[in-house]
Amino acid sequence: MKTIKLLILSTAVLVGTYGFAQKDISMPTKGLSPVGQLTIEPGLGIHTNFGTDFLITNLVQWNPSKHLSIATHTSFNINNITQRSFNGIITDFNFSINQKFGIGTTFYSAKRSHTFLLMAGAKYTTYRETLDDERFDQVGTTVTSFSPDYGLMYSLKKEWQKYFFTYRMYVPLYPWPTKSSNILYLDGNVDNVALEVGIGMRIK
Amino acid sequence: MKNYIGVLKGMSTIAKIMVLFLLVSSCEKEVFDPSLTHEFTIQSNSNGANYNIKVGLPANYNPGGGNYASIYVLDGEQIFDFVSNKCEEISTKLALANAVVISIGYGKDRSIDYTPTAVSSVTGGGPQFLDFIEKQLIPLIEENISVDTSRSGRVILGHSYGGLFGAYAFSMGNKLFGNYILLSPSLWFDNLIALQFEKDKRVENKNKEQLVFLGIGEAENAGRMQAPFEAFYQILRDNYTGIRLQKNVEANLAHMGSQHPNIIKGLNYYFENR
Repeated sequence: MKTIKLLILSTAVLVGTYGFAQKDISMPTKGLSPVGQLTIEPGLGIHTNFGTDFLITNLVQWNPSKHLSIATHTSFNINNITQRSFNGIITDFNFSINQKFGIGTTFYSAKRSHTFLLMAGAKYTTYRETLDDERFDQVGTTVTSFSPDYGLMYSLKKEWQKYFFTYRMYVPLYPWPTKSSNILYLDGNVDNVALEVGIGMRIK
Repeated sequence: MKNYIGVLKGMSTIAKIMVLFLLVSSCEKEVFDPSLTHEFTIQSNSNGANYNIKVGLPANYNPGGGNYASIYVLDGEQIFDFVSNKCEEISTKLALANAVVISIGYGKDRSIDYTPTAVSSVTGGGPQFLDFIEKQLIPLIEENISVDTSRSGRVILGHSYGGLFGAYAFSMGNKLFGNYILLSPSLWFDNLIALQFEKDKRVENKNKEQLVFLGIGEAENAGRMQAPFEAFYQILRDNYTGIRLQKNVEANLAHMGSQHPNIIKGLNYYFENR
């Protein structure tokens, strides 16, 4: 059932974006030539959980043909960076690393390109909290977890001299609906919606 | 080419409908058998608020001869149907007598009713809410429904602020409930006041027979949930002699996502160990 739901979502996104791309094709510009283009796009970002996570990210994208895009996305996240001490609770460290691979499609307008990718990979998270209040014994707990990381990524590239400005948005599809269709699981997705900006360069 | 684009458009429409269906099906509300559900409103003498109470009876409820356990559910307007259905499933699976589920609706705002101390204008009604449960709700239920009237026959189940209230009831209302299912409890509230209440009442409560299930989500990493949860667990484990204690960390799930899986595990633990 989960696989069917994932397939439905994937089909919806790919068909929808491909159809859109068909309608809006214009000739690619010189700077954002799509075919055979390999780009590297380091960036910085936040999660939408009140902006408390700081992300250092990179997207490598290759377009083997005009409307086929293949990408790999890496993200190192320093989580809960703004509130390390709260009501006697100390966050000693809180990191996560995401590594995803994706496939999708790109369409083009003057000096811009828009890429939609279906991504899949894994996420590693580790964090430690300590109860540090003189009224109580000090207690620390470390949580370490691996989880799947599926989702949709939108990447905008805008030509800027010999480089390009890049904006990315990643919407996770885990834990909802791939782990369960229970709508309550959605809070796990919302915490990990990522907004990123960066400067990209063309390798090839 | 036109035909090709037409096919794509058609597929796109179908795909959008499928996505909409998926979203709608995710939002379907679970419903407990209406013929087994009784509903009424009661006004609290403690705070003046009106509480909508739902009572979910076991399928084979026997008004004369039963001695059913009673599970008092906080945030009942959200989870009564889910809890009632799971009680039915789990008790059937384990071939045990089911429990009566009592849903306590919202009287005042949940942040008022479920918090034990006032740190703002919308917190601090916990003592009045506990007084309402003790002096009005429990007597009313036990006069009219065939439930076990002992402390060991009563369970309180709460999530988040509801879990905080359950921890408060564990310390300050321990004579009322013998069983606690506390899920993602907001123990950080008011500089760990729930831990202070536990410490203050430890000598009084530590030798009593009780069952406590503690559940949380692994992805609750906002810097406030895990450490007090672990501290509370260790305090109970190390100091309470007559306790049956279990904790569960639900993998890859956050605060709301872990609620239902932890309810299921908490109810299983309760039915298997009561």
